Amino acid sequence: MNQTVFHAEGVTKTFPGVTALEDVRLTLSKGSIHALLGENGAGKSTLIKVITGVHRPDSGHLTLNGSAFEPSGPRDAIGHGIGVVHQERNLIPRFSIGENIFLEGLSAHPLKRIDYKKLFSDAREWLDLLGVDADPSMPVDRLSVAKIQLVEIAKALSLNSRILLLDEPTASLTPHETDTLFAILRRLRDDGVSLMFVSHKLEEVQEICDQVTVLRDGRNACESRTLEGLDRQAIVRLMIGRSEQIPDWSARDRSTGDAALQLKDVSTSLGHKQIDLTVHKGEIVGLYGLVGAGRSELAKAIMGKFAMTGGSVLVKGKQVDIRSVADAVGRYRIGYVSEDRKSEGLVLMHSVLENVGMPIWRRLAGFAHLLTNRTVRRHTEPFIRKLEVRTPSLEQHVGNLSGGNQQKVSVAKWLAAEVEILIVDEPSVGIDIKTKAYLHELIRELSDNGTALLLITSDMPEMITLADHIVVMNDYRVMGEIDNTRDYDTMSERIMALIQGEETVAAGV
Amino acid sequence: MTDIRQERSGAIGHVEQRQSSRLTLLRLLLSNEFGLLVLIVLFALIFSTVSPAFLSKFSLYALGRTAAVNIMIGFSMMVVILTGGLNLSVGAIGVSAAMFGGLLMEAFGLPWPLAIAGGLAMGAALGALNGVIIVRSGLHSFIITLATMSIFFGVMIFLTRAESYRDISPVFTGFGRMKLFAIVSPLLIVSVLVAVLLSVLFRYTALGREMLATGANERAAELSGIRVNRMITYCHMLSGILAGVAGVMLVSRTGAAIPSMAGQLGQDWLLPAFLGPVLGGTLLTGGRVSVLGTFLGSFLVTMLTTGLLLMQVGAFWVQTYLGLLLLLAVLLDLFRRSYLTRRKLI
Repeated sequence: MNQTVFHAEGVTKTFPGVTALEDVRLTLSKGSIHALLGENGAGKSTLIKVITGVHRPDSGHLTLNGSAFEPSGPRDAIGHGIGVVHQERNLIPRFSIGENIFLEGLSAHPLKRIDYKKLFSDAREWLDLLGVDADPSMPVDRLSVAKIQLVEIAKALSLNSRILLLDEPTASLTPHETDTLFAILRRLRDDGVSLMFVSHKLEEVQEICDQVTVLRDGRNACESRTLEGLDRQAIVRLMIGRSEQIPDWSARDRSTGDAALQLKDVSTSLGHKQIDLTVHKGEIVGLYGLVGAGRSELAKAIMGKFAMTGGSVLVKGKQVDIRSVADAVGRYRIGYVSEDRKSEGLVLMHSVLENVGMPIWRRLAGFAHLLTNRTVRRHTEPFIRKLEVRTPSLEQHVGNLSGGNQQKVSVAKWLAAEVEILIVDEPSVGIDIKTKAYLHELIRELSDNGTALLLITSDMPEMITLADHIVVMNDYRVMGEIDNTRDYDTMSERIMALIQGEETVAAGV
Repeated sequence: MTDIRQERSGAIGHVEQRQSSRLTLLRLLLSNEFGLLVLIVLFALIFSTVSPAFLSKFSLYALGRTAAVNIMIGFSMMVVILTGGLNLSVGAIGVSAAMFGGLLMEAFGLPWPLAIAGGLAMGAALGALNGVIIVRSGLHSFIITLATMSIFFGVMIFLTRAESYRDISPVFTGFGRMKLFAIVSPLLIVSVLVAVLLSVLFRYTALGREMLATGANERAAELSGIRVNRMITYCHMLSGILAGVAGVMLVSRTGAAIPSMAGQLGQDWLLPAFLGPVLGGTLLTGGRVSVLGTFLGSFLVTMLTTGLLLMQVGAFWVQTYLGLLLLLAVLLDLFRRSYLTRRKLI
């Protein structure tokens, strides 16, 4: 059990201006699941890149199965049995499952005919091993996110990986899918594979991991110790140097204020039917549902990106016709923090300043559209500071910031735009605990200052922490709504019941 | 805790300042614009050593005049490349605009400033048409402008019966032949002015910023309230106007509006159109432009062409060299960029 498979000693890696890793140690044992924890920017990704041969450490050394290991590149690391499942999907969408699993092998002989029959039957074996019920000849883009994740794991295993690094594998999975994944990971562990698991969800870490390494500011806060005797608070203390503050907010009733946004019997071109929804001034209305319930799509329809085909929308009591996002932002002061900040929320190749200023350029511009950086700076910097965006300068490209800071930028954008209605979609995906707590306080504060908030999240604790009132959606319909009593157990039960459609009548839509 | 927070928020602009001044210098030395300047000086030295005629007053004047047109052609392509697209119909639009200007002067007897304005309006209209079709159809600009290139050119040939307009206002053609300080063509000054205007557009206006944001990430731009379709259409319209300016410049220089002045389908313009922006560091995937880079890039290309012709290298070799240059530029840029990324300088 305690046989060391991989060991890193004194690993240091610096980039111009940043020390990403300093004297980091890590030991992976055979047949164990090892948690790698740390806030965004703590150095987890860099460490993974060092292990997988993407980065070469400045000093320190790695050993694999007792002998020195100096991977010349990712391929070399794969050749040594180190597989990695990245956060970003790395499969080719239009290729079949089988082709994706054996992609490395396929590209070896450019002229050799591919034996699809054998390919698919080999793929079948891996899929069976992982308990994936899918036809290997099916294109990957027709699979659910969870299955795609498993196909990635199959791909890594098919390369004879004895060490498997998983970077936030559960970020987009439902609880049920997560359970399935965990059962598979446990089986792999029992077969002697060493797994390293990166996640921000501490419940999961405690559930499945044997050992833990915590990084803080590029150094070991603890190194390869067992999880025994380490409770959630202790882990959090290791990660952020203090214990987690669970907000002790009281339930409030904001439904007596003026209605900021109302949907009445709305249907959309995307298939929403009979959507009724009211968000009052200063209220946080949660929109709960499983992935695919049509919540983000509804948000985008409200923003004017997709057409409404029926019903009416009222902003501050007046019926409106929002034809484009520009209308929603400029005329009705509605903002949308996208769940997909990399492709929808931010322009990664542009600077922090440009990203935060984007919605207000037009408003700030003077004669002949003229606009200087100084003007933009004056109207955006207070918000960037308020949100404590960690960046060397406002000219820094957003793509170079850590996930948490990127999210702060995409929120700062709407604060600067002084929206009256803000739709926040999955605000804490891929964000560390401290930033998450900070964002929660911020969202609460915004509502206290009168902003109407529509919160979309699949994170139940988050929903119950923040929402005043919860609307449950399933299959592009509203299943019911309930006031949040902030009692986790009863609330989560009632929400799940609504999703199943058991409480529709009782909720009195 | 509060201390840490303050320190961190104070980090904006302070912590890395010392290091950044050194990095700024390195970044400047590795920038495209600097590289182009070095190349321009280098080739000027080579050409003037090999062929002393290169530095003669007339040669320099002619170089500036030709460069002026190529720079406009480069700009015309640049403003579409920044949307992540391209415009194959620059030549066709440029010639059509010039022919329309010629028609207004010769057949309708309009005074030349009005005729020029009419020509540029034609350029704008054709460019906008490109933009509208692209935005409405959702197809890539490559296929749309390939089609409109043929259509615009074909219709133009049909309407003009492939004949030139030679009755051009002498004041206007005088402009194209004028020499300031014996070596500077007014056309080059027009190009410089346009370059300044474009720089202002992209640096100091909301419109230019919205265009760049659209090019960099259309979905994010749209969800931030930018009317992306309108921006793409504007970019194509601007491209049409700039192509029109280039066409009108040629009329002023040659004293006639000739249907074949940009070759069959206007394709003689394509190589300079891409060379300028690409050498200048405009990102082909959109979202980033360098007006100065395009200016210098187009200038370098013109200088190479002129210099090689002076050295009496055959015209076909000149084409070959330009093609090689384009390839080399793209490859060099690739290495430069990966170096900068690896050092985390961009």
